[in-house]
Amino acid sequence: MQSKAGYLIGKTVELILTLLVVSLLVFAAFSIIPGDTARVMLGPDASESQVELLRAEMGLDKPLATRYLTWLASLITFDPGKSYAYNVSVGELIAQRLPVTIGMSVIAMIMVIIISYPLAVLSARKPGRLGDQVCSVIGHVLFAIPPYVASLLLILLAGSIFSLLTVGNYVRPSDDFAGYIACLLLPSFAVALPKIAMSFKFLRSSIIEQKTADYVRTSKSHGLSDLKILIRHVLPNSNVSSITIISIILSDILGGSLIVEQVFNLPGLGRLLLSAISRRDFPLLSGIVFYLAFVTVLLYFISDIASSLADPRIRLK
Amino acid sequence: MPRHIHIVKVHHLTLSFPTRKDPNPKPVLDDVDFGIRDGEILGLIGNSGSGKTMTSLAIAGLLPESARITSGSIKFAGNDLLEMAPKERRAMLGRDIGMIFQEPSTALDPLMTCGKQLDEVLTAHKDKAGTPEERHKAIVEMLGTVGFTNAEEICGRYPHQLSGGQRQRVLIAGAALLKPRLLICDEPTSSLDTVTTVSILALLKDLCHKLHMTILFISHDLSAVRGFCDRVMVMKDGKIIDRDTASDILTNPRNSYTAELLTNSRLDTRILGLEPATVDYSRSPVLTAKDITAGYGRSLFERVKNKKQTDTNVLHNVSLEVFPNEILGLIGGSGSGKTTLIRSLLGLLPHSGTVNIKSSSIGAIFQDPVSCLNPAHTIRWHMSEALKASGRQLSSEPGSRAERRSRELARITAVLEECGLGAGYLSRRPNELSGGQRQRVAIAMCLIQEPALIIADEPFSSLDASSSAELLKLMTDINRERHTAFLLITHNIHIVRQIAPRLIVLHNGEICEEGPTREVLGNPKSESTARLLEAERSLHGL
Repeated sequence: MQSKAGYLIGKTVELILTLLVVSLLVFAAFSIIPGDTARVMLGPDASESQVELLRAEMGLDKPLATRYLTWLASLITFDPGKSYAYNVSVGELIAQRLPVTIGMSVIAMIMVIIISYPLAVLSARKPGRLGDQVCSVIGHVLFAIPPYVASLLLILLAGSIFSLLTVGNYVRPSDDFAGYIACLLLPSFAVALPKIAMSFKFLRSSIIEQKTADYVRTSKSHGLSDLKILIRHVLPNSNVSSITIISIILSDILGGSLIVEQVFNLPGLGRLLLSAISRRDFPLLSGIVFYLAFVTVLLYFISDIASSLADPRIRLK
Repeated sequence: MPRHIHIVKVHHLTLSFPTRKDPNPKPVLDDVDFGIRDGEILGLIGNSGSGKTMTSLAIAGLLPESARITSGSIKFAGNDLLEMAPKERRAMLGRDIGMIFQEPSTALDPLMTCGKQLDEVLTAHKDKAGTPEERHKAIVEMLGTVGFTNAEEICGRYPHQLSGGQRQRVLIAGAALLKPRLLICDEPTSSLDTVTTVSILALLKDLCHKLHMTILFISHDLSAVRGFCDRVMVMKDGKIIDRDTASDILTNPRNSYTAELLTNSRLDTRILGLEPATVDYSRSPVLTAKDITAGYGRSLFERVKNKKQTDTNVLHNVSLEVFPNEILGLIGGSGSGKTTLIRSLLGLLPHSGTVNIKSSSIGAIFQDPVSCLNPAHTIRWHMSEALKASGRQLSSEPGSRAERRSRELARITAVLEECGLGAGYLSRRPNELSGGQRQRVAIAMCLIQEPALIIADEPFSSLDASSSAELLKLMTDINRERHTAFLLITHNIHIVRQIAPRLIVLHNGEICEEGPTREVLGNPKSESTARLLEAERSLHGL
């Protein structure tokens, strides 16, 4: 018999190991890329000795293992060096841009859940009916639209035709929280649209599957009403399988918002990432990539823990 | 409610599944007319597809939405059920009519403790609910009645922490909690082993007396209702074709179909013509397994925490040999490690010890023919996949592609025909076949690989008596004509006695007895063999 704490510790060890591997991969990727950072920074006219001096200053002349360990230590303290291009600490840069990306992802996730869940429950009540079929067809169409196309369409629709929300505007949450939410609504919706379709399709089929399960028949024979069976048995069981899918959707949303930020001209992590790539700003680049990977791995970790809480078969093996 | 002679009266009931294409299909229940007397145990026997489950669902009001009752009526204690509003009918479930079903492993919600699930029965019927303490007391009391000595503990357990027999007891407790007048049991024991079956039947009989319940007992096994039912009805193709007292029907069946069912469930070797091949034990065995020890995986964390933990092993040093032409029986109760052993022998489970197979391939057929075949593909596809997998492909042979294809088809057709499936089955998909036919396809897929040994893991447990008898005949025919050895795993001693010359009894992951079947069963030396035999005797009276 495995204890609850044992399971948690095991999962945490797994999380830390995964993160170590991720950091190693990120570091290796940026060390393998050809090109001398010091040379790029100083330009082609700088002398060899100037370049050497800068290399020593940045610690680039040290062996790889030492550089990796220094970098790893700096990641843990959330201070992975200074950006070459901005000359500001990477941690500070990321912290500045984080509210946009995280805000968009959270709003998009809430949209996905509050729209797809009720639709899936309604659709699964009588599969094959007209309403269900209409929902499924719309779902297919939405699923096929990439987020950046959806963004352009939404800008056109909301901005030009209805002029509902100001497009391309950004307000800091510290200045005006309501304004901050309002200017993130449209981009979040663009990210959420295909994911709504995805989670709708998944939830619907998992509810339909659970409805034919044997324990539903048992509950019926116990005299429970259909609503009670849905709430107490069908939905919890379909949630168990949905948790994994929702964590995948969430990490997809994170990736989607990086692109949509560009279209809506929002100062988020996506733009920072692009500028870091074009300027070969390796400390900034590796910082962003690692922390994004960190969030993704963390999401999977949380979904594992959540599904173990929801499912006694995992919790009490 | 006033007492009636008949608690349920089904009057000329006809039921069908009309579709848009076919508005008047062949009825599933055709003019079914019977009564269940107050206080009796009525057996309803028939092969799968005979309409016995639909009859019970019609009484309970749980028919699938696509079902239409075209004529007839059902009266429960004088009230016409078909005239009632859906809400009234639902209120009767659990309170007046209780039900238990075939598969206890999936019949409980895996996310809810047993206590909570039983509590729902009470809260669903407001008039009977009472305070939480009263409800808990009633549940614990009922769990005690169905034979749990640790009722409080069971309340807090999740279904996966219970065995199949325990789950069925919990389900029986749920069905009997409100002391309904009628308990419908739809094959409650068909997925349980013999020892558990006997105890569940004894419990049902006991409840019937204690709580003054009437039981409608549905089964496909005619001999299993012996000593349990008062009266028996036999169903075939939606009609009740025979009814009599249980003792008369079992000793002196008047209907020819009933007689046939009886023969099938008794597996009379002479009537069925079961003739296994003779075995020469001096030849070298086709399969030799030595010191197999196996268990199920532990998580990374557990392995780090406790490196030398061996108590997770299910099997301990099992050695066995299967000789050419032999049908070797392997019996044991549930949890004895039968399936683990098979998985180790097939190389599906990591194990210590050695397995030597003197053959290019061994075949395997499993318990559940439904999930073993790919529903998206035809039987022909399955067969040619099996042929490819065997490495005996014809592609290296001379001739054009068309010629090779026609040769392959000829071979597939020949093997299918040998298994009793004509060429018409080639283009069918698994869901168009019955359980027995699927199991035949599984055997045909083995045979096309020409194995020297076929391992059969409980191939009969999901089949009705007639299909089992036919499958058993097919297996002995293959054994005799093709000299294929079988390792037959089952909890049914009766089958082993009929066809296996040698027998191994597995208990708690160890071989506790081994030898010629007649000797082992005639003079059991170990307690577990004796227990299996005792259960068999009380169930079938053989």
